[in-house]
Amino acid sequence: MTTPHGVIALIPESCTSCMICVRECPSWCITLDSHAEEVSEPGARRPRTVSVLDHFAIDYGLCMYCGICVDVCPFDALEWAPDVDYSARDRAGLVHDTSRLAGWIPHE
Amino acid sequence: MRVIDRTDWLSAMTELHADGFSYLDVLTGLDRGSDVEVLARVVDVSAGRLRAEVVTTLVPRVDPHLSSVAAGYPAAVWHERETAEMFDIVFDGHPDPRPLLRRTDLGAAPLLKSTVLAARVVTPWPGTSEGESGRRSTRRPQPLGVPANWLHGGDA
Repeated sequence: MTTPHGVIALIPESCTSCMICVRECPSWCITLDSHAEEVSEPGARRPRTVSVLDHFAIDYGLCMYCGICVDVCPFDALEWAPDVDYSARDRAGLVHDTSRLAGWIPHE
Repeated sequence: MRVIDRTDWLSAMTELHADGFSYLDVLTGLDRGSDVEVLARVVDVSAGRLRAEVVTTLVPRVDPHLSSVAAGYPAAVWHERETAEMFDIVFDGHPDPRPLLRRTDLGAAPLLKSTVLAARVVTPWPGTSEGESGRRSTRRPQPLGVPANWLHGGDA
């Protein structure tokens, strides 16, 4: 079955900055920056190091909507959303950053 | 799908045309390593008899010649021009073998898997950055399908 594609949404809270989507993307259209933070939990012997997402962007001027990033994400942080209307007046307007990508998630 | 010997390509296509498959739907190539597979889909569009046939043949990279079918199928003129420049094939007997879309004096045939796209060389790969902070792996990740010595800032 052929279905029309919409847009790829990011759920930032689910993203662990593992870089799998960035490295699997055949169009090289995803960029991601993160940094490490130490989290101390009560009862833990040592502080835990976690990755914190600083920046995530998809360049829809390059994306070919293959959906590989959605498929490979081990944490389901990327998902298809139905929106299709995101044309832009210039090239830079097609680069969606973390907050814009998060805004595509359908809200009940 | 029928696989045809390269030397019988023109006669097989002529036979199909005489058989009623007079509409050329598509003619293109597929990189199969040491050969380029040329594939054509022809359709019989006569009333009440819609049927199609797919035929392919293997053209070795070392001797990339194939007979043109443009005499019987005029639509093949553009398809063969495109296949020629995208896969480095010579269609013998083609009535107008000018390049269709690209300058053939610049670089290799873009649809051959051995051809690395120029954009892959001048663009830094976004996967290089050490996203997994704290856990530096000893092996630097490499983009798939791009030879290491082609990479922007590569080690070669």
